[in-house]
Parts: sequence; C-alpha cells; structure tokens
Amino acid sequence: MTTGPDAPPLPADLPARVVAFAARLRAAHGFLIGPGEVTDALRALGAVDVLRLREVRDALRLVLTASPAQAPVFDAEFEAFFRPRTGPPPPELPPLLPQTEAPPPPQKVSGEAGEPRPVPGESRAEDSPEEGEDQPLQGRTPPRETEGEPDDPADPPRLLQARLSPHAGEGGRVEAGGDDLPELLRAAGALVRAVELGRARRRVPMLRGTRLDARRTLRASARTAGDPARLRWLGRPRRAPRFLIVLDGSRSMGRGATLLLRFAHALHLRARRVEVYAFSTALTRLTPTLRGAPPGEALRLPDLGDAWGGGTRIGESLLRLARDERARVTRDTVVLILSDGLDTGDPEVLARALRDLGHRAGLLAWLSPLAATPGYQPVQRAVQAALPHLDAFLPAASVGDLHALARSLRGRW
Amino acid sequence: MSQPSEPSAAAPSPMPAPDPLREAFRERGYVAGDALATALRLVVALGKPLLLEGPAGVGKTEAAKTLAAALGTRLIRLQCYEGLDAQAALYEWNYARQLLHLRAAEAGGRPVTDDDLYGPEFLMRRPLLEAISQPTPPVLLIDEVDRADDAFEAFLLELLAEWQVTVPELGTISATARPHVILTSNRARELSDALRRRCLYLWVDYPSRTQELEIVRARLPGISEALAAQVTRAVHALRELPLGKPPGVAETLDWAAALVALHRDHLDEEALRVTLGAVLKLREDQTLARATLERLARG
Repeated sequence: MTTGPDAPPLPADLPARVVAFAARLRAAHGFLIGPGEVTDALRALGAVDVLRLREVRDALRLVLTASPAQAPVFDAEFEAFFRPRTGPPPPELPPLLPQTEAPPPPQKVSGEAGEPRPVPGESRAEDSPEEGEDQPLQGRTPPRETEGEPDDPADPPRLLQARLSPHAGEGGRVEAGGDDLPELLRAAGALVRAVELGRARRRVPMLRGTRLDARRTLRASARTAGDPARLRWLGRPRRAPRFLIVLDGSRSMGRGATLLLRFAHALHLRARRVEVYAFSTALTRLTPTLRGAPPGEALRLPDLGDAWGGGTRIGESLLRLARDERARVTRDTVVLILSDGLDTGDPEVLARALRDLGHRAGLLAWLSPLAATPGYQPVQRAVQAALPHLDAFLPAASVGDLHALARSLRGRW
Repeated sequence: MSQPSEPSAAAPSPMPAPDPLREAFRERGYVAGDALATALRLVVALGKPLLLEGPAGVGKTEAAKTLAAALGTRLIRLQCYEGLDAQAALYEWNYARQLLHLRAAEAGGRPVTDDDLYGPEFLMRRPLLEAISQPTPPVLLIDEVDRADDAFEAFLLELLAEWQVTVPELGTISATARPHVILTSNRARELSDALRRRCLYLWVDYPSRTQELEIVRARLPGISEALAAQVTRAVHALRELPLGKPPGVAETLDWAAALVALHRDHLDEEALRVTLGAVLKLREDQTLARATLERLARG
C-alpha cells in the first residue's frame, strides 16, 4: 500500500483524498470497501458540510465501516489522513489512540462504561498492523513455554506445580500446528451430531414432513394435468446448535491450549455457528481469526496480548463473556469452557458467571486437560466453585478425550 | 463508535450549524448526538438503509420513530423474530375472502377468473410490501434484525438492493417511493457482511452524562433539576458496575418518571428502595448495586 500518511503528497482535492483513504482502509486493514462504497462516500460528502471535519468524519465512518471493531481503526486513520499537518495541533488524536492501544491495567473491561462492545480479536490485529501479519510468524516473544514442550501426554501434572502464575505473561503470536486435523474433525463432527436440540419453529420444504405444502403441491400438479400425484411436505428442521467456546490461553495450560484451539477450529469447520473466545488475563474474541484460517494449515493467531500465555482470571473473563454474549446464549447454545481451572481469582465471581451462562445455555460443559490425569481430584478452587453449575466436567488432554466427548455428552440436553 | 458522540458532550462544541432534522428531533424530545444526526441526514439524502447497532435501550428504535415523526411520514415497523419468513414479512392472500368470493360468484352463476381471485382486494400487505407501496417515502423500521435467521437476512438483501418484490400471482411490484430504512440490531447474532455493506453503519452507545441529562430534561420537562442530575449520575455509576443487564436510556427515563410520579424531588434511600425495579431488572444486579446506590443516595 503506497498511500499511507507518509506516502507521497496526496492530491489536494477532497474526492481524490477520499478515494485514496478508502483504498488505504481496504489494503492496510482489510475493510470491505468496493467501488460502490467509494461512490457512496463521495455522495455522502455532498450531503454534509465539508468544511466541518467532524461531519466529514462521521459521514465517511457511516459509509466505510461495518462493525464496531473497525471504528477505532477508522478514526486513527482518519486523523492521520485528514488532519491538517500545519496549523493548530490535532486536539482529538490523543483521546482516540489510547482506546485502541493502551490496555487498561486490570483488563479490557472498559465495556462496562463507555464502550460496551466486545473487543474482537480482529481489532487488536488491525490496531497494530505493522507488527501483524506481514512478519514471519515464528518470531514469538521468548518465554512462550507452551510450545517448546515435548508432545508428552503426561505433561499436565508437572504443569500443575510449575506454571501457575497469577501474573500476566507476554502474549506473542500463537502458532498451533499439528497433523491431527482429520481426527479433530471427526471428533468435532461427532460432537455436533450428538447435540440433540428440538425442532425449529420455521417450517421448510422437506421430503417427509408434518404438514402438506399446498402451494408446492398445487404447482407440481401442473405437470400431471392438475392431478396432485406427488404430495409435497413442510416440516420443522432440526435446530442447529450454536457453540460458544471459551479457551483458557494461560501459561498453565501449556500444550493443552493449542490442542484445544485446534479442536475449536475443527468445530468451527463442522458447525455453522461457532463463537470462540480466548482468555488469560483478558478476553479476546477469536472467531474472526478462525474464520479466515485455511483448514489444514497451522493455525496462526495474531498477538493476543493479555488473552494468551499469561496468568489466569477465569472468573472475571467469564463474567465479561457472560455479559457480552448475554443476548446470544440461548437454549440452542452449547457452552464449552476449556480450562485447567488453575486460577487465583475470586471463586464467587466465577460461580456468578457460570450461573448466568448455565441458566441461559442448553448445555454448559467444562473440559479440563488436568482431569485426564489418573487419580485427578477436582480440588482447584475455581473448579470447586464451578462444579455445581456445570452439566458436565470432562477430561480433554488428548485427541482421544475429544473423541469421547460426543459419547459423554449425548443425551445431556 | 462511541467516540463521535463523546466529544460533543464532553466539550460542548460551539453551536452546530443549524440542522433542521436535528432540531426536529429535539422538539420531539430526542437528543441526537452528532454522529446519529449525520447518519439520519444521510439516510434521507443518500437513500441508503442505516444499520444501528448497540446495547439495548440506547434509543435505536426510538430514532426511527422520531425520524418518521420529524419527516411527517408513516412509520412501518417490521419486528423480526426467529422463524420470520418472507411470507410473513411481505404479503399473504386472504384465503377466507377468496373462498367467499368464489362461493358468491358460483351461486350467482358468474364465471370466476384468476384475475378476480388474485386482485389487490384479497392481498394482505405485510410491512415490507406496505412500505414499498406508499405514495410518499415512509420510514421502514426493521427492528432487531439479528433475531431473524440467515435465510430472512438473505431475502432482505434482495429487497434492499432492488426495491422490488415478486408476488407470483401479480408479478413484480416495484417501490413507488423508496422508504427510509432503519435496521436495528442488539448483536444477538453476527450479521452478514453482505447486509452490512448495503447499509450505512452506526454503533450507538450509551450517551455521555451531559447528553443523558439533556435527554431526561427533554423527555420529562417537569422534573426538578436536582433529581434529573442525581438520576443521571446514579445511572452512570451503575453502568460502571459489572451488571448483567446495565440500564439503558429507557431505564433512566423510566426511573426518573417513576420518581416524578411518586412526587420525589431527590433520590434518598427510601425513594431508591421503592423504585429500584425501574432501573435494575435482575435481582442479582440489584444486590450487586445496592452499596453503590446507597452511597449515591446519601450524597
């Protein structure tokens, strides 16, 4: 992309700058902007007072953005692009940037007050494009213990003692490779099939159904001289489950986290509606990243910052999730929490979050890599607090465990 | 997308250029922020649908209603729900009337043709067909579009792009006047990129304190200044808490109205106790917020 803020001087006239600006948003940040949007942007300028920068910004934002995550990126780019470099210093640049870059000390729970939207993974990726996709992904920040580990299934017990740290660690980019995709897909497929929800309310044409589809039957009878030789039916299709996966990316999860991440990806490929979040000390939505990930290749996640590889704040992260996803968690939702339960937070907060999720979801299951250890006892405080609210607490340390999920969960909803 | 509204409230800008639409909104008790005012202006100027997203209770639906009132045109509302299909949103034939007509014709010995049976008098217009058949552009509110399923969303795409629908028995009906369309979403489901691209997009956030105070004053002209300020301050403090269901502007107004109806001129602990249900609708939230509210009530 050549038209960045430091690129050769732009033509002074506004339409040309808007075109260049749209191109910049598209090329550098992946905004879905086509010629139609550009035309609309130019038309929009005709409807506002172009001498008022704020109106121009509002109008362009309306046309060129399509989700809350894009707004901060747009604003920062707009400032760089349109704010005159000479004359008075830009008064509005400072308040915009901290919102996108500086993570507030505890975690990004700014949602409570001014900014109640979830902070999807893509926003972080977009905020720092220069350290994002362009670089080779192997350059992770040094102490990423999760991956240098041998593929030893007996790993988790050691992790229990060695890795619990309440402090946020470095995030770094995550690369979750593995040649187990076919098995994971099988496990995911079995899980999707095992979910037995009821029937949808909406009737659709089906080969066999419960109600005669008069309209289609009559239309078909035109071929048989008005004789309704073949009856057409309407029926209620099975409701498709929706999966909400919350992945513990904290350091203590070790290798387990990447396996479960790959499982989440496999599930994403098998079910139509899958929402994936990761948390460590903060919560990040991974769905957009997974959506763009090519199947069969190693999963590459952008730098997740506080959501990966740090300490654990299960309770607060789940509470945040329960709030962000509140409207979307219904009886059709299967909530899978993938975590070892090693947490230093307040169990009461966790219990509250799980109570909330459990009341709304069709099924609330906790999958723990530790639970696969022989002789494991769920003694962790977080797990103790969680157990009363869960429909199932199951092991998930290996592909075999994931295969067994469907069997264990069948008939629980 | 909260930024656009914030600066205007935090640092009251010099009088904005007179914007008739915004003024019309204000007259009707709706205080629109800069970004929303621009958005509504563009809906009218560009003829593009506007997708309003944001938490519940920030006035998305109200914006559409007020737009209709301000433009002096009809509001046609389609409330979306799971299982809503094109049929329910577009048209239905009045089978009972058709049958009666058929019987009457047969009894009278008159032959009945298709044209008789599928005439406009038997066509029951549902909101979408109604909206494109108006002589003057109405405001079409497609409310909570995130509740409808993917299939319906795909159907909407066609309508929003072509402004025409096909009724098999009547043929294609094109819009006589393009409605001003406002879609709202609470993000119960992720909407498709295709739908987003066809719309102008605005994230509507909770208003700033100054703005909310202004809204309370505009909607409840009789309210005492102190009470309005106290209620607004309390609601903003509540939104800082990790509530399950943070209060929207609608709750602020309900609360203020409840206090006015009870002849309270300030928020004390007693007033709080009896009106808490107007602002916090979950028992857990009420418990969680009690300490904060009592602190606020004490001053």
